[in-house]
Amino acid sequence: MLKLWNERLRRHQLNQFKYLRLIFNDNFVLAFIVLIGALGFWYSNLLGTIHHQLVFGKPIVILLLFLTIQIGGVATLLEDPDSTFLLVKEKEFYKYFKAAKRYSSFMPIVTVALVNFLLSAFSSRGAGLRIVDIVVIAVGLIIYKLGSLNINLMEIYNQAKLGNVSMRIVSNVLLVISLIVSTYLFSWTMIVIAVIYYLFLNNQSKKLENSGQLQWDFAIETENQRMFRIKRFYNLFTDVPGVNSKIKRRKWLDGLFKPIKPVSNNTYLYLFARGFVRNNEYIGLFLRLTVIQAIMLVLIDNFYISLIVEMLFIYLVGFQLKPYFKEVMQNLMQRLYPIEGKTKISDFTKLSTIILSIQWFISALAIVYKFGLSMNSLIIIVAGLAVLIFVNYFYMPRQLKKYLD
Amino acid sequence: MTLEVKELTGGYGQVSVLKKETFTVESGQVVGLIGLNGAGKSTTIKHIIGLLNPRGGQILIDGVSLHDDVEKYRKKIAYVPEMPILYPELTLREHIEMTIMAYDLDHDKTWKNANELLKIFRLDNKLDWFPQNFSKGMKQKVMIVCAFMTDASLFIIDEPFTGLDPLAVNDLLNIVESKKKAGCSVLMSTHVLATVQDHADKFVLINHGQVRADGTLDQLKANFGMREDSNLDDIYIKMSNEDL
Repeated sequence: MLKLWNERLRRHQLNQFKYLRLIFNDNFVLAFIVLIGALGFWYSNLLGTIHHQLVFGKPIVILLLFLTIQIGGVATLLEDPDSTFLLVKEKEFYKYFKAAKRYSSFMPIVTVALVNFLLSAFSSRGAGLRIVDIVVIAVGLIIYKLGSLNINLMEIYNQAKLGNVSMRIVSNVLLVISLIVSTYLFSWTMIVIAVIYYLFLNNQSKKLENSGQLQWDFAIETENQRMFRIKRFYNLFTDVPGVNSKIKRRKWLDGLFKPIKPVSNNTYLYLFARGFVRNNEYIGLFLRLTVIQAIMLVLIDNFYISLIVEMLFIYLVGFQLKPYFKEVMQNLMQRLYPIEGKTKISDFTKLSTIILSIQWFISALAIVYKFGLSMNSLIIIVAGLAVLIFVNYFYMPRQLKKYLD
Repeated sequence: MTLEVKELTGGYGQVSVLKKETFTVESGQVVGLIGLNGAGKSTTIKHIIGLLNPRGGQILIDGVSLHDDVEKYRKKIAYVPEMPILYPELTLREHIEMTIMAYDLDHDKTWKNANELLKIFRLDNKLDWFPQNFSKGMKQKVMIVCAFMTDASLFIIDEPFTGLDPLAVNDLLNIVESKKKAGCSVLMSTHVLATVQDHADKFVLINHGQVRADGTLDQLKANFGMREDSNLDDIYIKMSNEDL
């Protein structure tokens, strides 16, 4: 069983590296650097404004730490056929899951440590915690998280119950109480409770081996969903096979398509417009980036950073729309239509022009809100327009040609 | 409408699946394309509809090749693939609208045809459904509706009888019959020999990417030296045994 786990882990990691490499090769990494820079800038500005302890400082710390603990579970790497082919090995699967838990403890440890580290500045300034308290709570939280990973296993075996109450709820209530006590009164509480909690759950999960209650369907479904979330995340940056985005009818938006006249030249515009609005992936991407951009523009008062944000995000939305064209071009039937490639591209750029113009307009409002009607505003807005024109009339037509055949 | 396939050689990548295939489909003819799995039926069809480029030979529809006039060539063909291919983000109604736009068809007249077909296939109350809600057979019916509502003159159907319910198979055959009467031609590949034997005028038997024989049932019997009461199944088995 351990061999199976190691083999799957190796394959899984290879896959992850493949996608990570693709992501970090992309232009998107640029956006991340700017985004992180802007957030860091905003955070340090925020810290600069805090001169004494805040009333809601501790509640904020408690909330953020609580949410951090919710991140990450056990990656079981189960696959669909397992429930057929490996059914007889059910008892041995306990060892497999143990190994899975061990592997899965790495990410939460890093996450908890990192969040605590980043939060420490705020914790000491805004919440009035001493450095010792911060470290003690962080260590306690890591132990707590390691204990709570057992709940994932217990759920797979349908044993995550304490009496009639779900173990997860009990565990979260306990967590909130310990966090409150250790931030307001005595920080060592967190470690003491975490150690007891860890030992208790570790002991409980030993009983799973002989329980014979492995819930195959649930376990596989959970793992599939976990994988899907990861892949969907990667899919934001690069093409991941097997991630089919959700389609929603959104009938109330049908009015948007009215101006598209039903003539042969508009065949693809007809399709692209509907696909964009109904395919969660593309409209979601557009909304996410537009909203993030608008928020950043409203918050940042540095002219140069705003200028970069304006130009970069318009470029990014255009850049991220390309895969939609590719997706449609892979449909066999559309290749039989008596319509030229040129028309397909021009229909697509019509759509992207409309989309980017909406984004440009919203970002312009944000800029005017921040910089007022000034020369700076004008420069940023015109720069955004220039990127819009560049993307739609120079970049897009050249790039899309690649996907025609 | 005449389809001429002359000395067609081609396939995927470097491998030549088809070797000098020659056959014709005349006006008002229903032709069955028959062969074992992997014999080259679907590849032949892909060449005719222009998804693959021939490495040698010629394909002419009414004397026009794909390279002479892409638009004219494509408008003459309607194709129903083996696996239904639909746009996940368009409803059934929008698929029909889009086909009308793509082929520049008369809107009202085509919708009249479409509505008749939709009724036959019991899809008329599902116009606002997305493909993800359709079963495989229903998707196939959508493809059939979108193909047969056009004013194409050559209908190419890949494996039409698998996945359709018996009633739908019967309806499809009636539609094929009426298209034939209207002077259109139909080329269909299939493994359901009994059905095609009753409904096709002519058969093209493909083996190893070559036309082993073509003609009416009687001509095939003579070609293979079969008895008078033998059927297409017997001929088919005889052909596959020739390899041994």
